[in-house]
Amino acid sequence: MNGALGKVTQSIQAGHERGGEESGAARGRRGYNAAADIRVLCLKNDTIFKQAFSLLRFRTSGENPVYSAGGILLTTSRHYRSKPTHGIGRYKHLVKPEEPKKKKGKVEIRAINVGTDYEYGTLNIHLIAYDMALTESYAQYVHNLCNHLSIKVEESYAMPTKTMEVLQLQDQGNKMLLDSVLTTHERVVQISGLNATFAEIFLEIIQSNLPEGVKLSVREHTEEDFKGRFKARPELEELLAKLN
Amino acid sequence: MAAPTRRTVLGLARCWRRFESPWSLGSRSLTLAAAPSNSASPWRLMGALCLQRPPLVSKQLTPMQEEMAALQQQMEIERSLYSDHELRALDEAEQLEKKKSDLYEEKDEKNILLVQDLEDMWEQKFLQFKPGARITDADVKNDRSSLHRKLDRNLILLVKDKLGDQDVWMLPQAEWQPGETLRQTAERTLATLSENNLEAKFLGNAPCGHYKFKFPQAVRAEGSLGAKIFFFKALLLTGDFSPAVEKGRHVWASKEELGDYLKPKYLAQVRRFLLDL
Repeated sequence: MNGALGKVTQSIQAGHERGGEESGAARGRRGYNAAADIRVLCLKNDTIFKQAFSLLRFRTSGENPVYSAGGILLTTSRHYRSKPTHGIGRYKHLVKPEEPKKKKGKVEIRAINVGTDYEYGTLNIHLIAYDMALTESYAQYVHNLCNHLSIKVEESYAMPTKTMEVLQLQDQGNKMLLDSVLTTHERVVQISGLNATFAEIFLEIIQSNLPEGVKLSVREHTEEDFKGRFKARPELEELLAKLN
Repeated sequence: MAAPTRRTVLGLARCWRRFESPWSLGSRSLTLAAAPSNSASPWRLMGALCLQRPPLVSKQLTPMQEEMAALQQQMEIERSLYSDHELRALDEAEQLEKKKSDLYEEKDEKNILLVQDLEDMWEQKFLQFKPGARITDADVKNDRSSLHRKLDRNLILLVKDKLGDQDVWMLPQAEWQPGETLRQTAERTLATLSENNLEAKFLGNAPCGHYKFKFPQAVRAEGSLGAKIFFFKALLLTGDFSPAVEKGRHVWASKEELGDYLKPKYLAQVRRFLLDL
């Protein structure tokens, strides 16, 4: 009996803490939990709890009792235009406006190759191997090395994989037997702003750290390299051929 | 951290250009070459060649590295999915078992070549393959003038030359002549050394190191206080000295063996630009 009463009082208090509830609703909740005799007991305590409820209301609302009546709060402490706090919280004027992203192909920028500080333009470091994990791991190493040596890395991309089927002549007969399928993977790290005095050391580091099976090729970036990454568009080529 | 070091290198380059730099970074500044009066500076200029044979074979793994590699290989095998070949092997194993249990209906044999046969063939081929030796004859004999030694290290060419009246081991060098860049001096050294098929690739126009020394009093003439040597690095592509060249005048040394030949101060400067990985 005592235990049941204890549970009911707890539920009532929970109802009060949610705030802004009519006592009718709370009574309903009370009714849901309790048996008939307990309801009688609770009705007795009703008046006491009602008083406590109104007291709580005053405590939580602070100065303005209007706060707890209804959903959206009606604040009266706005930062008025004539007050010094006007405009507090404005930040959009401080943020730099974002440039619209170019969706079309990027224009190439080439540095001047002649000058007292001999600097290379955009260079492509090609790493080619049959083993994909090895190529990727070495490309990662080169990229990290450039970051550490503060060489600007423009891009780091992969060229499409080339598949080669190795066919061997069978011992008996003229049939060609499929021996193996070799896939060639290529990763490119594009850098810019390499010093001539430093280029020598950099190239030597890359060369001496090459793992087994990886081929290195360092070339200057050209239009054909750039265009070679795009897919061939047969319809466009057909139309161009028709025009010419 | 690397940026300041590069800046100092550039700064050094600029200093060189300001003081006695008849050498230049490009062919267009040949006019600059004639400008500073050589008679004013008592230093003779030499261009030297650091010819390196890159390693042909990767270094052997240390025991710890080998253990780690084996562990990683094991982990990869355990985590990976079956490949086509392995799936085929499993299918064929199942079919063989079915055949043995006599519940198998006779079907046309599509695969004449079973996976087992393929694997046996590959095993045979592997046993026939013999990898090259890591330790060559030249290593065993310690013949330092042959190129075919220490396949996993960088080898540098050292030459015995007369300096004054002494025979000194050093990197091959030649005196700079007005009207050419120092890199061309180094290329000339290469050509005169080999007279034949030593092909090398220069990685850049800038020197990798320098050494300055004064002549002993006996040799000092008017206007030549000493010499400044600028080293240029080149990687050997193909070729070697012909056996006609007299032995004992050249040596292919690795980084540790340099100490046996070069003088301490010279060695200290040379070591600074040798990358040994």
